[in-house]
Amino acid sequence: MAHPKERPGALTRRTFLLRTAGAASALSAGGFLASCSSSTTPEETTGAKGEPVGPGGLPLARPDRRVTLPLWEDPIESGLEPETGGTFTVFNYPAYFYKKLLKDFGKKYDVEVQYTGFDNIASGIQRLASGGVKPDVMEMTPDNLDLAVAGKLIKPINLDYVPNLKKNVWPELVSPFYDVGSHYTVPYTCYATGIAWRNDKVTEDIAGMPQPWDIFWESSAYRGKVALLSEQRETIAMALLRKGQLDVNTEDPKLIDRAVADLKELYDVCNIKVDDVQYQSIPEGTSWLHQAWSGDMIAAYIYYLPKGTPASVLSYWKAEKGKVPVQNDCFSICSTTKKPVLAHLFLNFLLDNGVAYSNFVDFNGYQPPLDEIDPSELLSKGIVPRHLQNSVLTNDDFGPDSLQEMTLTARGQRLWEDGYSDFVAGGGS
Amino acid sequence: MSIVAEGQPKERLPAWSRFRGWTTNPWGRPRFLVVVTWAYVLWSIVPVLIAIQFSFNATRSRTAWQGFSTRWYWGDPVDSVWHDPTLRHALVQSLKLASADVLIATPIGVLLAIGLARWQGRGSRASNFLMLFPLVTPEIVMGVSLLLVFTQVFTFVHTGTVAQILGHVTFSISYVVVIVRGRLFSIGKQYEEAAADLGASPSAALVRVLFPLLMPAIVAGAAVVFAVSIDDFVISQWLSSGGGTDTVPIQIYSATRAAPLPSTNAIASVMLVVTLGAIALAFFVWRAFTRGERRTGAKPTESLGVFEI
Amino acid sequence: MYRRWLWPGFAFPGVLWLVVLFVVPFYAVLAVALGTVDPILSRPVPIWNPLEWNVGWVVEVLHRLAPGGTFSGVAVRTVEYVAISLALCLLVGYPVAYYIARHAGRTRNALLILLILPFWISYLMRMLAWVNLLSPDGYVNRFLVFTHALGQPRDWLGGHPSTVILALVYGYIPYLILPLYAALDRIDRSHLEAARDLGASPFSAFVHVTLPLSKVGILGGAVLITLPMFGDYYTPNMVSSAPQTSMIGNQIDLYFHGGPQPTIGAAITVLLAAFLTVLMAYYMWTIHRASRELQAA
Repeated sequence: MAHPKERPGALTRRTFLLRTAGAASALSAGGFLASCSSSTTPEETTGAKGEPVGPGGLPLARPDRRVTLPLWEDPIESGLEPETGGTFTVFNYPAYFYKKLLKDFGKKYDVEVQYTGFDNIASGIQRLASGGVKPDVMEMTPDNLDLAVAGKLIKPINLDYVPNLKKNVWPELVSPFYDVGSHYTVPYTCYATGIAWRNDKVTEDIAGMPQPWDIFWESSAYRGKVALLSEQRETIAMALLRKGQLDVNTEDPKLIDRAVADLKELYDVCNIKVDDVQYQSIPEGTSWLHQAWSGDMIAAYIYYLPKGTPASVLSYWKAEKGKVPVQNDCFSICSTTKKPVLAHLFLNFLLDNGVAYSNFVDFNGYQPPLDEIDPSELLSKGIVPRHLQNSVLTNDDFGPDSLQEMTLTARGQRLWEDGYSDFVAGGGS
Repeated sequence: MSIVAEGQPKERLPAWSRFRGWTTNPWGRPRFLVVVTWAYVLWSIVPVLIAIQFSFNATRSRTAWQGFSTRWYWGDPVDSVWHDPTLRHALVQSLKLASADVLIATPIGVLLAIGLARWQGRGSRASNFLMLFPLVTPEIVMGVSLLLVFTQVFTFVHTGTVAQILGHVTFSISYVVVIVRGRLFSIGKQYEEAAADLGASPSAALVRVLFPLLMPAIVAGAAVVFAVSIDDFVISQWLSSGGGTDTVPIQIYSATRAAPLPSTNAIASVMLVVTLGAIALAFFVWRAFTRGERRTGAKPTESLGVFEI
Repeated sequence: MYRRWLWPGFAFPGVLWLVVLFVVPFYAVLAVALGTVDPILSRPVPIWNPLEWNVGWVVEVLHRLAPGGTFSGVAVRTVEYVAISLALCLLVGYPVAYYIARHAGRTRNALLILLILPFWISYLMRMLAWVNLLSPDGYVNRFLVFTHALGQPRDWLGGHPSTVILALVYGYIPYLILPLYAALDRIDRSHLEAARDLGASPFSAFVHVTLPLSKVGILGGAVLITLPMFGDYYTPNMVSSAPQTSMIGNQIDLYFHGGPQPTIGAAITVLLAAFLTVLMAYYMWTIHRASRELQAA
């Protein structure tokens, strides 16, 4: 088992998990706002059919609105030999890929694999765009895909080099709605958002409540021990879902304002905190009730549970499909790569069952969306205790009727960011 | 206190007057102030001592003492400072930044101090003003400005170790200037003029007279830069590019927000020892170099004039 | 005997460094705050030419800072925390500095060393020490329960303003005491003796002689701690992490994490710097007046 302290890096990346911004405005490709000397709002543009568009005029993908990304260049030809020698750079969140596996890849193809970390995906993309780094492959999230493609930062994929995609990956994610045909991405990890709690401190049957999210608004007894994720999209989405509003990509200011107002009630209810350390604070008992991602309690169980604390005190709940926000991270090939064939083979490598399993269990704690890695196997191997079974996702969690936080228009992004800023400002006059 | 003349019967003042006299005697020591001062000193130092104590705790608790152990320093094969790669790497990064900072900021600062002290022309006041600014700028303002400059203007220096070093040097120069300048004022021009009278060339006067005299201040300045750089948090965090460039303060910050282990206390204690060691070294060097001056009775607190902005 | 260009030459590397890495970055913040945002990548696009500056973002932040805006609560709270912390620092720090400067006698050197010690202890370590002490089962709770000052343990770290203020005071007070000590140390004892000889009570002598003479020191120390305190965001995060105790620095932090509006973060920074410049200007003006008075005296 790898050193658990390398996890904080992996999970720090969640702080900046990009459901927030970094994606782009709704400006059409040529428009700029320089002429307006006192403007803050971008020009609104809609596509040919009147639907809102993202950067470069690309339509915004949703689980029920599949988008095929245009190819800005042809993918490389099939049947080429991989490049060897020199260095191969992987650009990712820090400590999000098991270094031993990278070394194995390097040995196999006689390259030196370097691992460069970014603070969060948005700053990573900006570093890439400014030429600060020249990686070969890079981690990508679906809600940043549009701008990476519009900015020509990632290359189209020739799937002949990546047979593992169709072989191993869940059907729903083989040709996902945000990248039909998998032109630019392959999936890497997946997770959902729910509630984690210490069942020895919090006595309510949260899973049995008609609306479990209500527990936060009824948590006065746990004042000072309740927290939400420090994420723009997650906090507001939670307040929306609680009131039955299922569009977590809404740009309706009234809905967002109401969600923020609901969140502000939590100041008085339980002196709500905001952080992203639930994978450690829940097992240690410094937090009793926390909004959390599905991998957090797995990580808590595997790495962070102090001796003497039984695993049975950890609990997790997530809503059923259609009411639970799910998300998956991906990997892409950067335009700056000088080893395109090898980059393709790396994507294939990370989708290998053995490699992905080792990455997950020995290091990452984040579940890869592969057929062979299913809940029963994880249960039988003791990776996941029975009562935390619902922390493991399956193919069925994804699909056209699932909820996924995706790219917004520029106006939308600002609404969400400002709403979150309002919540985090703590009220007052 | 009643004033007694020899042979006279003692008059006993009322208790309240005696108490007032006892506490308000301007030539004696006011008891109230003594209590407040020592209470403050205890309040200031004891929490840190307790934190150091718990870095030697045998269990992972930071609040319940359960025996002495060095596991958090090197014993524990997983979480100790020695074995945990994240902590070790942070230690190395902190030392790297601090050393680079000292090597770059000290020469620049010394030259700037001498230049500013003796430059009479125009621009010297503006330069002096400029030098003082970093001392009063909130770190977040500096962090934001440096981050923006390294991502918008000097994009060849993106965030990372180089950016962190450049940022550290920027706020360190002022510390060196302020310390060296104080020493410069107390030395005055007399020694160089004496050297000139004895036939020394300007460069000889500088190198063989002024610099040796400045040496204690230069060493003190270097030690201060080292300590300030090792303890820096905001600038290091804003210019960090992820896990590899995290320093010890950043690690302490993340750990404290999540769930600190005694290994956090341990690495903080290690940093403390390193810092105190550097300061103590500088102090002894200062004392060695100024031995001669002490015999002539210069006030040791003169150097604290550095705090007068 | 030295060439005239020697001293400017010595100063040149330092001045160049500060211009390139201190002044230019400041200007960059200004240019970003008064700039625009790249449509595709949401990167800030600084506008360098003052004639083309876009004031929209700064105006937007000013709206939010006005009463009723989303930032007005946190701005007021920041000023409150800083003011209360400063008052407490002075309340505790002044007697300590006074005692060491005027009365300490033989223990003075030891006390000075103990005063200077916190400078070399990392700020974060000092906060870590308090986070440990203030945990539910930490020494503070144990002591308070043991002495029956509290019925049951208090959750100090559960997001309370009092904890944040305590942390700020603990963190910044050394930076006040030392300049205060230096200023008090400089005050000539003979002034006080003269006042006593003229019949003033000890208290009156303090109020009419010592206090005014130490005004410069008080101001200097106050500036030294309030300016950084206004930008503090890590102290509330370490001892609270609740929105209700956040400070304006937390908002700046938020907008610089890759969101679509780094310009708002830059605008808040610019306005904060402007506000602090006003405070600095007041300080400089007071110093100037005080030194003129001293010269006239």
